[in-house]
Amino acid sequence: MSVPRQERVYCPVCLTKFKFVPGWKAGDVVICPICGEKLVLERGPEGWNGSRVDKGTEREIRERSEEFARLRGYVFNDMKEDILEGLVGKNARFGDFYCPCRMMHVPEYQCPCQPTRAGDVEANGKCYCGFFWKKGALPNPVPPLPR
Amino acid sequence: MAPTKVKPKVYALSTCPYCKRTKRFLDEHKIAYDGVDVDLLDDAKQDQVIDEVEKLTGKRAFPVVIIGKEIIVGHDEVKLKKALGL
Repeated sequence: MSVPRQERVYCPVCLTKFKFVPGWKAGDVVICPICGEKLVLERGPEGWNGSRVDKGTEREIRERSEEFARLRGYVFNDMKEDILEGLVGKNARFGDFYCPCRMMHVPEYQCPCQPTRAGDVEANGKCYCGFFWKKGALPNPVPPLPR
Repeated sequence: MAPTKVKPKVYALSTCPYCKRTKRFLDEHKIAYDGVDVDLLDDAKQDQVIDEVEKLTGKRAFPVVIIGKEIIVGHDEVKLKKALGL
């Protein structure tokens, strides 16, 4: 007996695919479980794709980062608004929400960056920028960069 | 200790919140400084400045503040105050 193939959805933020949940249909709004991006489902010739909702807006990066933190159980500190402002500046100057604390403007550093998605916060207590923090790792006062 | 008369040099990224805090700290203490937003430089100049930063600090992390012989990487008000004699 053949096992039905698991359909997947491509996320244009984290550049990878996540599981398609039976019952979803084109036009539905879903959250990428990897990066927290809000996506509208579209059926393309290669399969399911997600289209970014509110692309390029402050609302997009704010909701994405808050959703990512919720999914992973991470918390923010008092740098949150300053870092969001930096992300908005990156988008305005360099075309997308790249990490505001890095020089490189490449897809893998789209926030939440690839190292963060891969477990940097678990390993170090925080992401490179100090945006996402592991619960219990948040010191007071905020320490300086770099790590 | 009297405040330093050396003019600090600040290497920063225009979008980096920690760099902004460092600049704000210097402004609030009325410390004149030479600042450069490395990410806004043209490619050739940017390469040159990044090489300088890497030679000074061994990494590409910002902000970097040079005060005389002191090199401060990251926003660190304790180190800034000490280096500036505040």
